[in-house]
Amino acid sequence: MDQQLLAKTFVELADNLVADFDLIDFLRLLTDRCVDMLDASAAGVLLADRDGKLRVMAASDERVRLLELFQLQNDEGPCLECFRTGVPVIVPDLGTATARWPRFAAAAQRSGFGAVQALPMRLRDEIVGALNLFRTAPGPFDPAATPVAQGLADVATISLLQQRTAERSTVLNEQLQTALNSRVLIEQAKGKLAERQGIDMEQAFTALRGYARAHNRRLADVARALIDSSEPLTDLGS
Amino acid sequence: MSVVDVCTAAVAALPVGGAGLSAMSRTAASHPLCSTDDISEQLEELQLTLGEGPCVDAFARGSAVLTPDLLTTGLQDHWAVFADAALEAGARAVFSLPLQKGAISPGVLDLYASIPTVLDTEELADALAFADLATLLLLDTRIDETGAPTGGPMPDGCFEDLGAYRAEIDQASGMLTVQLGVGIEEAFVRLRAHAYAQGRRLADVAADVVARRLRFSPDAEPDQDEEET
Repeated sequence: MDQQLLAKTFVELADNLVADFDLIDFLRLLTDRCVDMLDASAAGVLLADRDGKLRVMAASDERVRLLELFQLQNDEGPCLECFRTGVPVIVPDLGTATARWPRFAAAAQRSGFGAVQALPMRLRDEIVGALNLFRTAPGPFDPAATPVAQGLADVATISLLQQRTAERSTVLNEQLQTALNSRVLIEQAKGKLAERQGIDMEQAFTALRGYARAHNRRLADVARALIDSSEPLTDLGS
Repeated sequence: MSVVDVCTAAVAALPVGGAGLSAMSRTAASHPLCSTDDISEQLEELQLTLGEGPCVDAFARGSAVLTPDLLTTGLQDHWAVFADAALEAGARAVFSLPLQKGAISPGVLDLYASIPTVLDTEELADALAFADLATLLLLDTRIDETGAPTGGPMPDGCFEDLGAYRAEIDQASGMLTVQLGVGIEEAFVRLRAHAYAQGRRLADVAADVVARRLRFSPDAEPDQDEEET
């Protein structure tokens, strides 16, 4: 594992926390860094909404986002199991999981994934979601990488829960609500940019995020400015 | 079902005395839409007249503003006129929930209680769910303006946005802003109008737009959008 990149990632995540916090941007950074560092081909984060239903909050690419949705729709898969039990679910070879999750195993393999691990996002007795790492090739996961992935998931969990006060769950509830709305806003902006530039949703997201980073802005603010046409955003996606 | 019914249902389900709903806009004048009692009506009128209060803040911030007790120190400074006027009207706790879907924010749902009140997690979740439903109902009143057939029974799943989240619906709305040259709210209304008119699921229509199998044109009638072949 690249120790320098690992150190840089924790600094980056911490930076995100002290700056104006944007949950969606933060979670996307988390999934991207998991892919860069942890022998994963793709990563996704699911969080429980106010009704306790899981939602896909971030995914390192569209393929994994669809696969996460597939788990939710079919109500089976490692992520749901991990969320329900609160313990990691590690499947080095999805070919052996066809009895356990018939639909998910088939869909994952169709998407080109051979191995998966799901790590709980939990703080004490509260499970707020799960981090999923997918790998193309089947085979055992690097024993050194799993604790790092869990560490990243823990940092993300703490960041989610950091602003809780005495009325902790109420605050969390509102935060998640705000985050979910940011997510909707970003999807709307992706659509507008994709249509305007004739690009796909993934390229639109990359352009939006690149612009937000280059201008040191929150992703949600850039998305709103684009939707409202309230700023020229001249070098966006051009 | 209308936004009035949502207000009535919210009052029945939550420890509040009344509910009111105002249409809000950054560009046009805001106006009260409905209220379940006199106190609610006064609260809506007050905030829009004064230009201050939890409803105004909830709209500006895009997040819920929960005030368990209007007598809390400091609040009278924050809402110099509103706080006293609201107490005078008979409100003690006020909860304002923005109606929103991303950049679409057509209004605010206000709830009040005549005694100090804290909403617990489940009650807040219910209140947010009422706000979500009110958002869609409020936007659907605008479908009349698009000329799509209404009055008949809504197709199954017309409130499917309230269930599993579908990113495609929001992506398609964003795409329609460009195809139709309209704002995001109008784009979303047109997308829903099309789904109603065709008797199709919103998610399926949205998926077609995102996959670029379906384009909307500003000139065509909403029920005659050209299917690209």
